[in-house]
Amino acid sequence: MALRSAVLRYIRVPVQTLTATESKPQPQWSLRASLRLFSSHDVHLTKEEVIDRVLDVVKSFPKVDPSQVTPNVHFQKDLGLDSLDNVEIVMALEEEFKLEIPDKEADKIDACNLAIEYIYNHPMAG
Amino acid sequence: MSTSKGKKLSGMQKQVLSLYRGFLRAARSKPTEDRRQIESIVSAEFQRNSKQVDRKNFLYIEYLLRRGKKQLDQLKSPDTMGLSAFNVSSSKKQNAKT
Repeated sequence: MALRSAVLRYIRVPVQTLTATESKPQPQWSLRASLRLFSSHDVHLTKEEVIDRVLDVVKSFPKVDPSQVTPNVHFQKDLGLDSLDNVEIVMALEEEFKLEIPDKEADKIDACNLAIEYIYNHPMAG
Repeated sequence: MSTSKGKKLSGMQKQVLSLYRGFLRAARSKPTEDRRQIESIVSAEFQRNSKQVDRKNFLYIEYLLRRGKKQLDQLKSPDTMGLSAFNVSSSKKQNAKT
């Protein structure tokens, strides 16, 4: 399926309306979308993408003040959450990245940087 | 917060968190509206207990854990649609059965 969409994407590129100025049409696909030719499943997420999405999840947590959220912030010490909130955040991250994090690992994730590391290193993060 | 967990979680704290996680996972498999209700009831109950129950009251905490596990098992059964909670006030007239 990835092959099909990759091929379609590739085929679409040459169809560009030429502007009045004779500038050569540039391929417009966003560089953020990684090139996925011939892969059976998605290539791994970039660290930047993981960081962005993790921070978004944390910022959207109702008890959190979004302006306090940085990639190094500690959930309980810096954001004033308790361990129950910690569980909820880790579960929200599970849903965002389509993962299932075992209890033993989840108990260790109590700060943004740990969450980012864990997810980035997880082969199944999507 | 009366129950601030230090760097290392005690065995009992881990059990509590594990139970909490179990409830939230079970809630995921229910329809959206029920899931919201379950999450709100469970969250309120755990938060309340964390503030009201003495951390050293091991017997009571163990009792709550056992009771919670039974409730979780019931919740996991596909026949159960959701939870509800009712207030039992001292005035007997207000006892409502759900």
